[in-house]
Amino acid sequence: MAVSEMKVRTFPATGKSDAARMPNWLKWGALIGLVQIFAIATVAPLGVSTAYPQFVGLVLDRLFPGFAAQQLYLREIGTGVTWEVMLLAGLFTGALLSFLLGRMKGGLHSQPAVAPVCVTGFEGSRMRRYVRAWLGGFLFIFGARLAGGCTTGHMLSGMAQMAISGLVFGAVAFGTGMLFAKLLFREPSR
Amino acid sequence: MTTTLLLGFLTGIGFGFALHRAGFSRCNLVHRGLWLRDFTMLKVMLTAIVVSLIGIAALSALSPELVHWKIKPLYLWGVIAGGFIFGVGIALGGYCPGTAVVGLGSGIGEAILAVVGGLMGALAFIVVYPWLKPILIEPANLGKITIPSVLGLPVLPVALAFALMLVGVIWWLTRLERRMRERAKAPVQN
Repeated sequence: MAVSEMKVRTFPATGKSDAARMPNWLKWGALIGLVQIFAIATVAPLGVSTAYPQFVGLVLDRLFPGFAAQQLYLREIGTGVTWEVMLLAGLFTGALLSFLLGRMKGGLHSQPAVAPVCVTGFEGSRMRRYVRAWLGGFLFIFGARLAGGCTTGHMLSGMAQMAISGLVFGAVAFGTGMLFAKLLFREPSR
Repeated sequence: MTTTLLLGFLTGIGFGFALHRAGFSRCNLVHRGLWLRDFTMLKVMLTAIVVSLIGIAALSALSPELVHWKIKPLYLWGVIAGGFIFGVGIALGGYCPGTAVVGLGSGIGEAILAVVGGLMGALAFIVVYPWLKPILIEPANLGKITIPSVLGLPVLPVALAFALMLVGVIWWLTRLERRMRERAKAPVQN
């Protein structure tokens, strides 16, 4: 199992035909740009983090009727099955589709190879990794909602519209991210 | 209304597919990016921004009614504090709100935990919002300002100049990466 997993994840990074092709970052980055243009021309600029509280509101309102109406924040952003929530569902479906297609093709192209973890301190036990991921998720949504957007809404969409808020958010978030990545994790061993 | 939801779903599929193919389902990519070991993350984002920047500006010049602008306001305290919390979150988790869902689509354990954490962070934000709003969101709100609105210049030329600048950054990152790779003599993809 472990060996086949490796095959799925290793991708001929230095093959001749590969070098001649358009680099991955350019191809998929440009596609994200086109998706952004489509989104703006149809409904609104891309944004992901709004859907999290909207989805929470949707679920909790089913469990405790009247919950959403009591919350000031949900009254402001709206809740239920919105365009944003459907975008989130599509995001999941698109990733699943890409993953399954990659599998079907015999593992190649399922994903570009990302060299193994660069930060040794990050591995730890599975439990520690999961707690870290959970806490990371908690903080990135809380922070994104406080700022009014995440990487997608503030940086991708914000900078595409040349919003100053996107520039400020991007600078603070990347600066803090870099600082904390250095503080929290150790240098790679290799 | 249903059309809007369908559009959201389709947009999400395109976005999720591209993010997965670019390698964002694993937290490595963000960690390596924050450690300045690998610029894939930045290059993908900047490429997407350049493409959409030009596309939106061209669209707004040709048929302005097609562009659904959504400029986020710059309320200084909230954007800065949120950016800080967000930065700590991405450093810890290695995901952002969108890529966590992409990781979830390819069944990665840490991504599942990050999404669960995100939903709980969203609930926490809904609960504390009435207290945070008057302290961090309402004061020091500079409004929906953009680079062209601050400079008092039309959108299209500013967008083209901004895009050109970002292309310069991408070119510089690519060169920097090549030089780093030569120095380290370690195989890194893309």
